[in-house]
Amino acid sequence: MLWKEVGNVQKIYVCHDDITGIFSAVYDAWKERRETGDAGIAFKGSVEQKLFCEYTECEEREEKVIAVEKMIKNHLGMDAYWKLYHAALSSDPAKGDAILGTMFAARRLKDSTRIMENLTSPSVEKVFALSRKVSNEAHYFKEFLRFKELESGILFARIDPKSQILACIAPHFADRLPLENWLIFDGTHEVFAVHEARKSWFLISGIEADMEILERLSESEMEIQKLWKGFFESISINERESYVRQRQHLPIWYRKNIVEFQN
Amino acid sequence: MRIQTEMNLYEKLNILSDAAKYDVACTSSGVDRKGDGTGMGNCEKAGICHSFSADGRCISLLKILFTNECIFDCKYCVNRSSNDVIRTSFTPDEVCKLTMEFYRRNYIEGLFLSSGILKSPDYTMELIYATLYKLRKECNFQGYIHVKAIPGASQELIQKVGYLTDRMSVNLELPTQESLRLLAPHKSRKNILTPMRLVQEKRKENRQELTVYRHAPQFVPAGQSTQMIIGATPETDFQIMQVTEALYQKFELKRVFYSAFVPVNEDKALPVKTDSGPPLLREHRLYQADWLLRYYQFHVDELLDEENPNFNVLMDPKCDWAVRHLEEFPIEVNRADYHMLLRVPGIGYRSASRIVKARRLGTVDFADLKKMGVVLKRALYFITCSGKMMYPVRMDQDYITRNILDGKERLPDSVIGMNYRQLSLFDDVRFSGDSFAVEGSGKCAENLCLS
Repeated sequence: MLWKEVGNVQKIYVCHDDITGIFSAVYDAWKERRETGDAGIAFKGSVEQKLFCEYTECEEREEKVIAVEKMIKNHLGMDAYWKLYHAALSSDPAKGDAILGTMFAARRLKDSTRIMENLTSPSVEKVFALSRKVSNEAHYFKEFLRFKELESGILFARIDPKSQILACIAPHFADRLPLENWLIFDGTHEVFAVHEARKSWFLISGIEADMEILERLSESEMEIQKLWKGFFESISINERESYVRQRQHLPIWYRKNIVEFQN
Repeated sequence: MRIQTEMNLYEKLNILSDAAKYDVACTSSGVDRKGDGTGMGNCEKAGICHSFSADGRCISLLKILFTNECIFDCKYCVNRSSNDVIRTSFTPDEVCKLTMEFYRRNYIEGLFLSSGILKSPDYTMELIYATLYKLRKECNFQGYIHVKAIPGASQELIQKVGYLTDRMSVNLELPTQESLRLLAPHKSRKNILTPMRLVQEKRKENRQELTVYRHAPQFVPAGQSTQMIIGATPETDFQIMQVTEALYQKFELKRVFYSAFVPVNEDKALPVKTDSGPPLLREHRLYQADWLLRYYQFHVDELLDEENPNFNVLMDPKCDWAVRHLEEFPIEVNRADYHMLLRVPGIGYRSASRIVKARRLGTVDFADLKKMGVVLKRALYFITCSGKMMYPVRMDQDYITRNILDGKERLPDSVIGMNYRQLSLFDDVRFSGDSFAVEGSGKCAENLCLS
């Protein structure tokens, strides 16, 4: 209590870089009645020690997440919920502070459902920008993700996104390919999205996968790839060729796992 | 004519996608449909592009011809009957296999099926129907399908196909009846517009059905589109845009596409092959004007007239209009109605609606406009905020034109580099059109009325 009276000391909640971590930290900050400026969120493994800060490890629990999600949905509305959720998936280290800041800002508003319109608040603007970036990236991977058929008939795709967009794209593919067994591997964050035919999908992380099995392709896979590459060549009109325009729409960074750009 | 009997799928796909590439439409938009859990596929309202080919055009659908055998002899087409090219056809099974296998690997968003005319229009349409039936009912494919209606095919067939597809299109090919007679002797205005009208009527009926029975089968839910070839015939931009406007108003089309003419055949009825490449800048201007019609409440006769029948090569149509109508400007951003805001260069339809919302809560100034996405560099000549302009501007046509042109227009990269050729006197259709005069020019919009 003494610290708070001095007023200069920030309490930083240290948690894992995922939804459970961030929302648990928000829960703790809320419970301890923190205010703008005296609370922050940092992530395990990337904490930069600052002066006049008190660091405390956050206990991450599913109930805390549920409580925070319920609070956001009830008081800020679904639109704000999705914006905050997407922002929490971003790769920006300052996202935790922005999310916490936005929620503090909402508390001060008369009508807190209008929080996302309050773009003059730096935290809100940050959340807005982050969420747009993440949902754009998710959309790109809906477009540019490519499945390969493995020996076992399972469809496998590898992506290397900047943000943790796996949870954003998995529902799309679950709806699209309900009768297929498929697997998407996020190489950056080492997470798998797993979908078994006719069942719902889930995320798995922290497992040692046998990557060799994931490289054994089915017999027809190469044939289909060849057909697709042939189509990709023949559909272009020579007279209109424009390398720059192609790169504008499909930046080279995204081409890493796209079959038609691999020789 | 060479006919090869044994050809593998790879070669067929190569030939039949190569032949289909001049079709512009590759959009997969217009329907929102979740999968029902029993098959494969869904559709997203905004459409999804999956790749971009070397010409920078998006690949969203598996764009193929069913066959490139064709009894028609359209002068501009690679597959015309008088050309000696390798002919081949898919079987319905092959089309289904390609679509399903590409789709499950997330290569494509669906199928775009066009076709040459094999034996007769009805025979071809029958084959297309058989293919789509197999794909929808046997393979249980729920992704996007765009199909071409064959001009001259019977009404029943077109109706049957309409219930299996998401979008249907009949290509208008050329803007006037006269050009059509010259370049596509087997097609006529009538047998292109009849199926268009049919689809329009059926869609109307279907909408009523759907309000009563929510689960009634949908007829062409993503609407119809069409395409015109630009630069093969001497029509002016004014004529082309008049046709476009008539198509939007009288036939309720979703989109009209323009395709810069790419010479693939040598023919005395076609323009001479030059080094200047396809008229991409002209195509670009037509698309810009097309947007003005669809989103900005413009009418064709405001943009062009008999004296100025072509778009300004230096300036986009909206800027051009504004500079010619300085008497309407400057407008006060905090008071002007939405309709007028739309007409200011630099204000798009999104920022216009943002302005209308924001000014309910307070006064909007130039800094706010910038945040809302307004391009002030262009807009500043035409607006005031709380009665003040951004800085003093002389309301003089030459002065403003000069300043706007100084700012350089951001053209798509495909068009850049073509500019100096486009500026040449002889690329202008007004100067090259005397080799064959078009009858009833300027009246083409009326030609569209089918009684």
